Amino acid sequence: MTWDEIFAPADLPEVVDEITYQRVVMNAATTWDYFPGHFDPAYARSQGHPTIFVNTMHIAGFIDRVATDWAGPRSRVVRRRMRILGSIYAGDSMVGRARVVEKRCDKTSAATRYLVDLEVNVCNQRGELCCPAEVTLELSR
Amino acid sequence: MSADIGYEFAFGSYEDAVRMVGARTEPRFAGTAVSAARIQHFAAMVQDGNPSYWDPDFATREWGGLVAPPALLMGLLIPPPWLPTEAPRVAGLAIRVPLPGTTFINASNDAEFLIPILEGDRLSVVEELVSVSPEKTTKLGVGHFVETCESFYRDDGTLVATNRNTLFRFTPAAQS
Repeated sequence: MTWDEIFAPADLPEVVDEITYQRVVMNAATTWDYFPGHFDPAYARSQGHPTIFVNTMHIAGFIDRVATDWAGPRSRVVRRRMRILGSIYAGDSMVGRARVVEKRCDKTSAATRYLVDLEVNVCNQRGELCCPAEVTLELSR
Repeated sequence: MSADIGYEFAFGSYEDAVRMVGARTEPRFAGTAVSAARIQHFAAMVQDGNPSYWDPDFATREWGGLVAPPALLMGLLIPPPWLPTEAPRVAGLAIRVPLPGTTFINASNDAEFLIPILEGDRLSVVEELVSVSPEKTTKLGVGHFVETCESFYRDDGTLVATNRNTLFRFTPAAQS
């Protein structure tokens, strides 16, 4: 997809991803983030959680996947802002709902950048908003 | 040091933490260059089939090499889970801020990716403590929000990404 082919506002396809225990353990293994809340259910429960949960990088990876699966592999995430309002636990699903809010040209640097701003909300399977995010993609024309 | 979380974890008072605001670390280097194995292990975990992570021909043509998923940025500077030396594993600045809280959870993140990080890049990070909030009570417990800003550099000194992160350092409600 090119910048010229994108219109704002527009909704992106919803993406659902089931987060099994294996995925949460892979999360710790791939990011080297061995905070025990990400692999030890007893520790997670002692901290007030029902079980282990994914880290920020996993949610960020899902947000980026929602954005670039839609815009195509020639798009690039240049900025991502996210707030963690609730955790995604093993056994949950991540549901990504996103929309295009703006397209713009950034002429502040030597080369004009063609940008698209997205809002991406990550909810769990109960519809609870766990992570609202804003993503800016750079695309070619 | 807390055996529970496996990192050097500093304890102290809010006043101790406030005195540290503005502190900027020396560069901390990743132990190894970004590898295709780490790129693809992470992409497999996320189940992201983007050829920028998987297809060397496409990625080289488009970006100059296999791309590290932007979401893996912080992980690229986390030390391996075990090191064959006596030296402690040095974690990010945020959890080395002296505070009473016994655990933490991430609250927000704002990352900017100036240029793609590619297979073979060896990164370093410089971290700054931006702010520590007064005591706050949340549903998880009582604690402080700790905001840091990290600048990631390539070996040649090029700034590749910045990362502003806020975590909540707290004592769980049941323990406070």
